[in-house]
Amino acid sequence: MEHASYPVLSRINRLISQILEWITIGLMILLTVTVSFAVIARLMGESFSWYDEVAAIMLAWITYYGSALAALHRRHIGFDTVLLAMPPKLRIAALLAGELIVLTFFFLMARAGLQVLEVLAGDTLVSLTWVPIQFTQSVIPIGALLFMLAQILSLPAYLKLTSAGISLEHAEIEEEVETELEKNKDRA
Amino acid sequence: MLIGAIFIAMLVMICINIPIAVALAMCGVLGLLMTEGSGSLVTIALDMYDGSTKFSLIAIPMFVLAGAIMNAGGITDRLINFVSSIIGFIRGGLAMVNIGVSLFFAEISGSAVADVAAMGSILIPQMKKRGYSKEFSAAVTSSSASLAIIIPPSIPMILYAASANTSVEQLFVAGLVPGLLGAAGLMAVAYFFAKRYNFPTEAAFNLPRLRETFIDALPAFTLPVIILGGIFGGYVTATEAAGLAVLAALVVSAWYGNLNLRHLRRAMLDGGIQTAVVMLLVAASVLMGGFLTRAQIPQQLAESILSITTQQWAILLILNFFFLIIGFFLHSAAAIILVIPIVIPLITAAGIDPVHFGLVVTLNLAIGQQTPPVASVLITACSVARANIWAVSKVNIWFVGVLLAVLMLCTYLPAIPMFLVEYFYR
Repeated sequence: MEHASYPVLSRINRLISQILEWITIGLMILLTVTVSFAVIARLMGESFSWYDEVAAIMLAWITYYGSALAALHRRHIGFDTVLLAMPPKLRIAALLAGELIVLTFFFLMARAGLQVLEVLAGDTLVSLTWVPIQFTQSVIPIGALLFMLAQILSLPAYLKLTSAGISLEHAEIEEEVETELEKNKDRA
Repeated sequence: MLIGAIFIAMLVMICINIPIAVALAMCGVLGLLMTEGSGSLVTIALDMYDGSTKFSLIAIPMFVLAGAIMNAGGITDRLINFVSSIIGFIRGGLAMVNIGVSLFFAEISGSAVADVAAMGSILIPQMKKRGYSKEFSAAVTSSSASLAIIIPPSIPMILYAASANTSVEQLFVAGLVPGLLGAAGLMAVAYFFAKRYNFPTEAAFNLPRLRETFIDALPAFTLPVIILGGIFGGYVTATEAAGLAVLAALVVSAWYGNLNLRHLRRAMLDGGIQTAVVMLLVAASVLMGGFLTRAQIPQQLAESILSITTQQWAILLILNFFFLIIGFFLHSAAAIILVIPIVIPLITAAGIDPVHFGLVVTLNLAIGQQTPPVASVLITACSVARANIWAVSKVNIWFVGVLLAVLMLCTYLPAIPMFLVEYFYR
């Protein structure tokens, strides 16, 4: 999420967004190829023992890298009607309290994730014994830290919009509609 | 006392616009702290990981992606031309086309908001040019896109099946007849408006044109054939059908020559983000679910409602009312993930078929997408039409009335959604 009042921050946001976008797209391509390949193989009478486990891990990775990206653009599902109806000072106080709660949760998740990684040292996947579980589960602490970073980076713009009484959901819908109208122009 | 405090905390967190997934997870953490102490917080990492690796939910990114590719690949325009050549000659032709294309679009994509943005951005400007009011254009687009979520493949149905531990394939089959029934109802209301306000007809029915548009749209028909035929014929699971749908969408879009790398990148990204948003909710629900199970809340709820009544019709009435209210304030994915784990023991104890109940829930949430303040589909349609939400809602009441009628029919005449399920699976 960007705002014209913060040009330097907007540049950093764009950079982080691009990195997360390519990770998410890469994971989506990998998952699509894996699922399609496994279905075609099964229909031809072949099945892969690693398919279920690996596809589920990719889903977890999409969940957390994609979640950090969604947090950067403030696209997680929320309910802003009450917040926007509050008087300005209370609205800002409530918003900051909310941000603190989100950061606290992801801090706890990152800490728990690191503890689990220590415990899992030496374990490997069931179907692919050369893949350490520490690698697959690293997504929890990394995802939590990325979420916190995204939340902090997008906070100033979110604060600015919410102070002005602008709903993020409406802004997002406007963006989607503009994209579709652009696409139609391209086709025309 | 503890349970009440945690639910109040959740309500407060939702009201200050904390992402619902985080509010849910934080309540799980509070529950953990209060019942097991701070030593148990390592569970956060385990539950959040387990929740995001539910294999059956791999169908979600695949269906979202198939829909996004289809939309980017020019399939929508061909569907509109084909449906227009079949029913465009009726008075209010473009409104009929809107409803008809929604049904077809729903066969491929899983997201109503994406559908309404994609289809609405083509059809609503055309409708306005042809003399339809912007309010009517937005209302018909919005209500038909919402009805589409009960037609397979449907992301709310996939989520329900995972939350209720029931068959997604059976749920998909259960949605077919109510979907067609609802579409007929919406068309009847649109026809009534068309007569009253003298909306125009489109080109007269013409067999050569029908043949031409059919041939042009033919490659696009492979998608519902793969999805519906594959699943209902028992050849593939819902997840496998979703994977094949992506491949087919890619091939068909490439065939039409409209798919470029920029559109494909955007489709992948949209698919990834939408998936992440829903999956974070699912993962958080596992954390919260642990607390609910330890506190035996679902069982207590079941006992207290069953002590009032054991009549299935009364329980369904209570739950319908509850879901309609919840639909005003929550998105469908959040509503399913929050509520289904709590009410499933009640449904089981009352002897209600979970597949039938899943269809009832999905219909309720389709109506919820039309009721502000949280009404993503309606808001998207209004945004495309540049119309005021409340002015659109006044027209939309008639279409929502149809959806409510279908909901009542499906709730109290279970044979309507279930006879195909009985035929195929039981």
